[in-house]
Amino acid sequence: MADDVLVVENVSKRFPVNIMALEQASLTVRRGEVHCLLGANGAGKSTLLKMIAGALRPSGGRMLLEGQPLDLRSPAEAARAGISMIYQELDLVPQLTVEQNLFLGHAPGKAGIIDRRTRSERAREALERIGARFSPKTRVEQLSVANQQLTAIARSLTMNAKVIIMDEPSAALNETELEAVFTVIRDLVRQGVAIVYVSHRMAELRQIGDRITVLRGGRTIATYDIAETSDEALVEAVIGRERTLVERKPRGPVTGEVALRVESMRGAGGLDVNGFSVRWGEVTGLTGLNGSGRTTFLRSLFGDLPFEGRVMVEGEVFHPTHPAQAIRRGLGLVPESRKTQGLILDAPVYKNATLASLAGKFAMNHNRERERARPVLNRLSTKYADLDQAVLQLSGGNQQKVVLAKWVVNGAKILLLDEPSRGLDVGAKADLYHLVERLAAEGAAVIIASSELDELYAACDTIWVFHEGRILSRYDPSVTGREEILKATILGDQHVH
Amino acid sequence: MSTDSTIAMREPVHRRAVNFLVEYNFIAIFLAVVAIAATLSDNFLTWVNIANLFQQATVVGVVAIGMTFVILTGNIDLSVGSLTALCGMLVAVLLAAGWDPVLAVAATALVGLACGAAMGATSAYGQVPSFIVTLAGLVSFRGLTYLLTDGVPVSGLPASFAAISSTIVPILPGFNLTSMALIFIALMVICGLVLRFTVFGEYVYATGGNPEAARLSGIPTRLMITGVFAISGLTSAIAGILLTSRLRIGQPTAAQGLELDAIAAVVLGGTSLFGGRGSLLGTFFAVMLLQVLRNVFNLLGLGSFYQMTVTGLIIVAAVLLNRFIEMRRGRA
Repeated sequence: MADDVLVVENVSKRFPVNIMALEQASLTVRRGEVHCLLGANGAGKSTLLKMIAGALRPSGGRMLLEGQPLDLRSPAEAARAGISMIYQELDLVPQLTVEQNLFLGHAPGKAGIIDRRTRSERAREALERIGARFSPKTRVEQLSVANQQLTAIARSLTMNAKVIIMDEPSAALNETELEAVFTVIRDLVRQGVAIVYVSHRMAELRQIGDRITVLRGGRTIATYDIAETSDEALVEAVIGRERTLVERKPRGPVTGEVALRVESMRGAGGLDVNGFSVRWGEVTGLTGLNGSGRTTFLRSLFGDLPFEGRVMVEGEVFHPTHPAQAIRRGLGLVPESRKTQGLILDAPVYKNATLASLAGKFAMNHNRERERARPVLNRLSTKYADLDQAVLQLSGGNQQKVVLAKWVVNGAKILLLDEPSRGLDVGAKADLYHLVERLAAEGAAVIIASSELDELYAACDTIWVFHEGRILSRYDPSVTGREEILKATILGDQHVH
Repeated sequence: MSTDSTIAMREPVHRRAVNFLVEYNFIAIFLAVVAIAATLSDNFLTWVNIANLFQQATVVGVVAIGMTFVILTGNIDLSVGSLTALCGMLVAVLLAAGWDPVLAVAATALVGLACGAAMGATSAYGQVPSFIVTLAGLVSFRGLTYLLTDGVPVSGLPASFAAISSTIVPILPGFNLTSMALIFIALMVICGLVLRFTVFGEYVYATGGNPEAARLSGIPTRLMITGVFAISGLTSAIAGILLTSRLRIGQPTAAQGLELDAIAAVVLGGTSLFGGRGSLLGTFFAVMLLQVLRNVFNLLGLGSFYQMTVTGLIIVAAVLLNRFIEMRRGRA
């Protein structure tokens, strides 16, 4: 069709040694549409995107841009052809200004001398096109994540991109910021740009997408019109006929004693929490917009950030000044970023799983540690080939299980989980919450901070809404509807008063 | 590539053997160089020459042990050359002042340990890059070394002190090692066991592999960094004591550029400058490899200018080889 700007036909990618990351993946993107890409971790999304963006070369198949065959040898060639990729971790240089970033690699000028005036003008134009309200002279590190995202989009515009690929842009954005990004996307689409949009969040895809292509096991399953397809059908396409959506199941009343009580806690970033508690066997959710203090609260509890106030664990005063103290008291933290904070990626699976429980020992008996890790990893149904395998080689969901195993091996009874499902596919998420439920049933007190209210709503006995470092309200999801909690999250104070 | 797209399969035995060879490629390279050396010179594979190799490798080897600990945590210690000279002078000055050799050695070792710990603590708790802190150490310690005697060497040390390094110990019939070479080998073995079979060793790797994850797992990462610098300070002190003992003179200009030899050996031995990956076994073979090269050049009658040039080239080649191997494995 004449309207097809990008056509990908049966491309495949083989990595040494004989790993097929992608076989027969196809994708057709029309001018002026938001084309979503959905697939579980390991389905081949990243590989496909990288090939379109010129970062990887396909082993087979072909790609066409506006009817012309594409043979990209580098991301720079892709950019010149009009394909621009915005990575999750935004490849901007934080120390440089917005306009420097916009024209990095293709600054206007002659003989290596940059024409600063033209650059400023064109930067202003690009920013205007996306309705940005910050100056092109601002340094990128001073922008909010949402504005950095907009900068990345503006950068694509300066390269006259026909196709812009966005890899999980919502991962670091809150609802309001995401809405701003969506406005820009809708505007660009009207101007004829095609957007390839990747996200795990179904609601978001419905909000922004026109069509959706589902990948599974390195193959294209099908392309759907989003408006005409149900969530169930999409989820089924993503995971096959194996699992159901995360649904709220009735949970019995929590009968355990109070495990942890925060009578008062004042800490970093204006954190001021009073009257929080969690019981043994209880799954507690913390929600709120990004920056509402959930992470700060968990890190303070874990002794990673200083705080003032009074916290009790099993009726005894608890004031950790270092994670080691919190760990000794039976706490465990699954941090926000499993790759940079949770795991030593190069180290073997068993070492990662036993790292937190070596304190006080002198000798390192590798076989003993393997035998300590094995049953716990199996109990958490972790899939790995070899205990000595680098944890780097596991899938995201299994990596997260290794982080969790670290605390289970150590016998932690109070588990703090910060955004545990981030970057996991639907199946891995369901798996994770299933585990959390089991750990709680075995008597653990679990606190989960997440911006995914749906997940908390399905899994938690209690949900606390955080707003600007304080607890706004506490809900029992078996009584209160999801919408009510969501409203409190978004509206903050206005809602309560 | 993305980490989530594949799950590695358990590898068959022959592939594991290949992997082992790839992982420990420096051993193969070492053996190759030894073979070349043996064909170039009949004198190379004699007990006397082998004993010489160990003897000459000792000072840089001992320092490289401490350096391995430091680099495994993702830090660097540039002060080791100066600290070796300082400790070498200090022990000479103490002996010249009439101290008992045992006491003088113990005091010097303690000073080395304390200097290292102080730099480590400054870097870890003050959150200053160790490169800068130890660069300051490099300059200041050398200054202190000169200040001790106003730059004058100290000689006339007691024979009992010289015995620390030069006692001849029979190993096999016809094969004798000096006590200093034995100290080097013993330190290698002990520290290798510490790294592999103690929780402390595990924490060293964890601290270098991902400091943030290590800290959030309850590991006292700052203490660990202080600890590895203390070890590096101690090994520098031992190297200084052995050097002075062998020369029977405290020389303030000694051990210039020793830090670079030690770093070169550690990196050549496959330890990652970013921390978390490497081993003392690698360091040992790299130290010996560099010593064999020097030895070969001497046997061939080529001067130190050739040695320096070729040594540099070999380091680059070895590091590129390791990089290539890592890329093949998909760690890049």
